Amino acid sequence: MMYDLQPIPALLEKIVPMVVDNHLFAFLPEQPLAELTPGQFVEVSIPGVGSFPVSSCDLVRDGRIVSCIRRAGRVTDALYRLKEGATVGLRGPFGNGFPLERFAGHDALLIAGGLGMAPLRGLLQALLEDHRRQAKIMVLYGSREPGGLLFYEELVGLSQEGRISVRFSVDFAETLPGPYPQVFCRIGLVSELLEDLQFAPRRTVAAVCGPPALYRCVLEELALTGIAAARIFVTLERRMRCGIGECCHCVAGGRYICRDGPVFSLEQLRGMAGAI
Amino acid sequence: MVDALFPSYPLPQDVVDDLLAAIRREWTFWGPCSGEDGAWRLQPLPGDLLPNTSVTTLLPVKKLLLPHRAALWSHALKGYRTAEAAEPVAVIGVPLCELQAVWYLDQVFAEDEPYQARRKQLLLVGMTCEPGAECRCDGELMPLAGDLFVDVDRVWAISRAGQELLQECACSLPQEMPLPWPDGQVGKRSQISEELYLSSADAAVWSDEAQRCLSCGACSAVCPTCYCFDLLDSAALDGSVVRRRVWDNCFFAEHGKVAGGHDFRPGRADRLRFRLEHKHLGFGDLRGQNSCVGCGRCRRVCPVEIDLDRIAERLHQEVGS
Repeated sequence: MMYDLQPIPALLEKIVPMVVDNHLFAFLPEQPLAELTPGQFVEVSIPGVGSFPVSSCDLVRDGRIVSCIRRAGRVTDALYRLKEGATVGLRGPFGNGFPLERFAGHDALLIAGGLGMAPLRGLLQALLEDHRRQAKIMVLYGSREPGGLLFYEELVGLSQEGRISVRFSVDFAETLPGPYPQVFCRIGLVSELLEDLQFAPRRTVAAVCGPPALYRCVLEELALTGIAAARIFVTLERRMRCGIGECCHCVAGGRYICRDGPVFSLEQLRGMAGAI
Repeated sequence: MVDALFPSYPLPQDVVDDLLAAIRREWTFWGPCSGEDGAWRLQPLPGDLLPNTSVTTLLPVKKLLLPHRAALWSHALKGYRTAEAAEPVAVIGVPLCELQAVWYLDQVFAEDEPYQARRKQLLLVGMTCEPGAECRCDGELMPLAGDLFVDVDRVWAISRAGQELLQECACSLPQEMPLPWPDGQVGKRSQISEELYLSSADAAVWSDEAQRCLSCGACSAVCPTCYCFDLLDSAALDGSVVRRRVWDNCFFAEHGKVAGGHDFRPGRADRLRFRLEHKHLGFGDLRGQNSCVGCGRCRRVCPVEIDLDRIAERLHQEVGS
């Protein structure tokens, strides 16, 4: 496949504030991109400012790209100053995405930290969409503070419908997130949510997304519960400038994270020095 | 690969003249030019002054394929516009090691349209060289790119374009011959295997060398197979925008950083090790292909005399081979 590094113009159709400096942005490209698999990403360009990579957090199938974007740098800051109706540019999709077929017939354990819920929400939707699916879906989601939990009401709603089970953790809090007193939430690290979780490791496939600190504490612990390392999938964050395995910023363990990843199994990551 | 055979023809003066005329019809001549400061630079060649040997120029042929600031597209009210195509250039006097480097870049950028558009405009004419003290070329390292190769009185066709040019000049009945790789002073270099690299994370050589390294990035800027880039926009007063592919450098502090500030290669030793990993092992599909063609530029420009080959030798001693 040939790449020209030229974005496709896209309408910034909708901005939905989620939590502080974490909004949902819906883009409608003038020409449809290939459909995104959960875990794949696009490069969003604001001509004159720059571009950044972001995954999709919604499994919309109408040509739109919906992403949860944190105001974290110069280009995302410029995006936050745009209004609905503005035009941006999109390139992609890039990367491999989560191997959905590996989740079929297995219980799914999704573990997210902070903004890491965004790509996992797309995966969650893909799992829920499969109506033949019998296996359980468990979500463990940690955030620094209660106000930082993304898709909180939606996750609680799905749990109340019995479609998923969900546990939250917050690092610091005096009051737990409301208004659902029956929701499981503890103060501490997301890895602690694993401690008394009842699940069948041999039947479980895990997906993890979060900041680098989360990977250092969660991944090997997850393997210790008995889930095979080949069934623990992780999506990595890197500085991805090109998205096509050329510019070298994202390289870890000799692989272009943007192209060979960003989703790798723990088994692969163990052989990639410096990846986590 | 030293033994690889290419069609070779005798090159009498009248064929030289015909060949140059044929090239001149389509391409502008570039080649090594000596400046007043004594440095050799790759530049448009003035008049009829053509080199008769190759020279290791300050910057390699990379600067024509991946110019250090190359427009990719512009954007104005009417939308995106692809940047204008590059002019056809014939580089005369390219050393063999650099023809290998171009082969390597061709693999990395095989799916990159802007690169391929420039590549198609380039005719590469290799010539024999006088290996210098820093030269450590290795004909077995990888295949080479290029179109023609000229020795004193012989010419080789390396590509189909080269072959067609020679046929235009009535060259016929070629002999299949290997290219004249320099021999003698160019020794084999220490190569780092995946295993040695992986077990070397704690070797003392990294911190020793990193203490001296200034992170200036000169080694990677002059390297014919370093290709890190960033994508940078600039806006004009009329609202139009140009996005350029701009050389980046794995020694620069921002290289491994993500939004939010986490740095995946925070120390100078991490970056030095990353560069050696790239040269000796490569990334992605090219993993396992050593891409140091031995041109010696990095050794020549390093202000603190860091030498990747010496690091490789020390790794063999410290970590074992």
